[in-house]
Amino acid sequence: MKDTVMKILKYILLIAVTVLFLFPVIYMLACSFMTGSQVSEMLNFSDGKYKELNMIPNMATLEQFYQTLFRKPEYLLKFWNSVVCTFPTVIGQVAVSSLAAFAFAKLKFPCRDKLFFIYIILLILPLQVTLVPDYMILENMNLLNNFLAVILPGTFSAFGICLLRQSIKYIPDSAIEAARVDGASYLKIFTNIILPQIKGGLITLALLCFIDNWNVVEQPLIYFDNEGMYPLSVTLTDVGSSDYGIIFACGVIFMIPALLIYLYGHRDIDSPFVGTDKG
Amino acid sequence: MRKSKLTRKQKEHIAAYLFILPSFLGIAVFYIVPYIICFTKSLYVGDTFVGIENYIQLFQNNTFLLALKNTGIFTVTAIPLLMVISFLLALFLNSFNKISSFFRSALLIPVVVPIASLICVWQLVFDDYGAINGLLNSLGFNTVEFFNSEWSMVMIVFIYVWKYCGFCVILFTAGIANVSQSLYESARLDGAKAHQLVTKITIPMIAPTTFFVFLMELIYSFKIFREVFALFGDYPNTNVYFLQNFINNNYYNLNYPRLSAASIVLSLFIIIVLFIFFCFERKHSYS
Repeated sequence: MKDTVMKILKYILLIAVTVLFLFPVIYMLACSFMTGSQVSEMLNFSDGKYKELNMIPNMATLEQFYQTLFRKPEYLLKFWNSVVCTFPTVIGQVAVSSLAAFAFAKLKFPCRDKLFFIYIILLILPLQVTLVPDYMILENMNLLNNFLAVILPGTFSAFGICLLRQSIKYIPDSAIEAARVDGASYLKIFTNIILPQIKGGLITLALLCFIDNWNVVEQPLIYFDNEGMYPLSVTLTDVGSSDYGIIFACGVIFMIPALLIYLYGHRDIDSPFVGTDKG
Repeated sequence: MRKSKLTRKQKEHIAAYLFILPSFLGIAVFYIVPYIICFTKSLYVGDTFVGIENYIQLFQNNTFLLALKNTGIFTVTAIPLLMVISFLLALFLNSFNKISSFFRSALLIPVVVPIASLICVWQLVFDDYGAINGLLNSLGFNTVEFFNSEWSMVMIVFIYVWKYCGFCVILFTAGIANVSQSLYESARLDGAKAHQLVTKITIPMIAPTTFFVFLMELIYSFKIFREVFALFGDYPNTNVYFLQNFINNNYYNLNYPRLSAASIVLSLFIIIVLFIFFCFERKHSYS
């Protein structure tokens, strides 16, 4: 009897936690079906009335989506800018980091740990520290007002190296040793043994890297003069000047690519940090 | 055939350097060189070398001290809090014999949703006339000004924990799953209690995971600035004025020497935090 009560309580707690984590997203989705005027009224904080978290649209419409997609071409352009800034970064970072992570996790060479410590420190440095010097370097390379100014620094982040190193570590040394004995080159070991086994890690990195760059705000503001090049994240973050009428629909559209990658990969996300040998 | 003369060890070194080369080039150009430029700039005013004068001025600057204090407060409260909450949640999820992966996936949703999409939701929840205050008011409490009082810090810590908890839970769950079951069984045979299993086996055994989680949390603790910026703009109230705000605003004022000095102090701050934790981890793990 006591066990059953405990079990029920545990499930209630589990559901409560899940709802807490999902709530803002569900809420945003609900709001995106409201009419523009209802949203404007909701977000008007100066009328002295307490807001309720009203989930139910007065009248469910696709008005916000229609407005965003067919009446405001600048939003679509900004969405495209976001895509251009993000996808090359993700691909580049996954490629560069997996190569380096393999060396840091499985190969022995002088100064390995010292170099890795330097990487970790660089990885943690907040963006603001290198923003201005990066500006000078990009200016010298003639890359300002070019999407590469956002793409290149994003590609070489030590974050991916740290993450993938962690998941490569779980591959037993014996597998690599055996391949070595058979005369496989390191490149072959990398492509045939390492890569297939860290699929989960690669997807996790791609997802996290995607999110990170999808949210980019500071770099475009500093590196681009032309507002037409700003990705959607810059516009959406500047709430004061946004179009209240379509803000939730915009948010939902902006969220979709991230959610799609997540849905594709979420089953693999647990796996990269779990070893196969539980000796 | 020069290659065949190399020993196996040398070959391994060369391979390793080749694998690292692409990332090293990029990191050198976009991180190491800028960092060195930043450091040299912090020693100059205009073209004259002033030594540590910029740093002395920095530490006499009240705005900077405020920013440093707030960043310190955030780091020492939010990171341990997130660590404890996500560890407990991971233990909680692990205590179910069979659990749908839906629940673990749901925890990751906050990381996936772009910041910009959620700003309006946070405003509706935390505004002076928002949902929380509506509830407090109907219960007869005073309004809590989340955007203009010491509660701002609480709000930011909450958003930080909410957002990154799921990822840390997944890392911890994996770490716990890697602990061998036989250890628990033999401890149970010796008569260990449930809480002893956690403190004497789980926590020491997952020390490497803990270190990794800590690294991630530290990185993310600086990324939370995007939310601060989106919610408060350039000049947040004094409770949530962080070092990043200070650096950003000096960028817009074109005060590069001060900005560079502040950046160097911020990185020293990070290195110290990292170092303390590193020593702590060494002391408390088996191995």
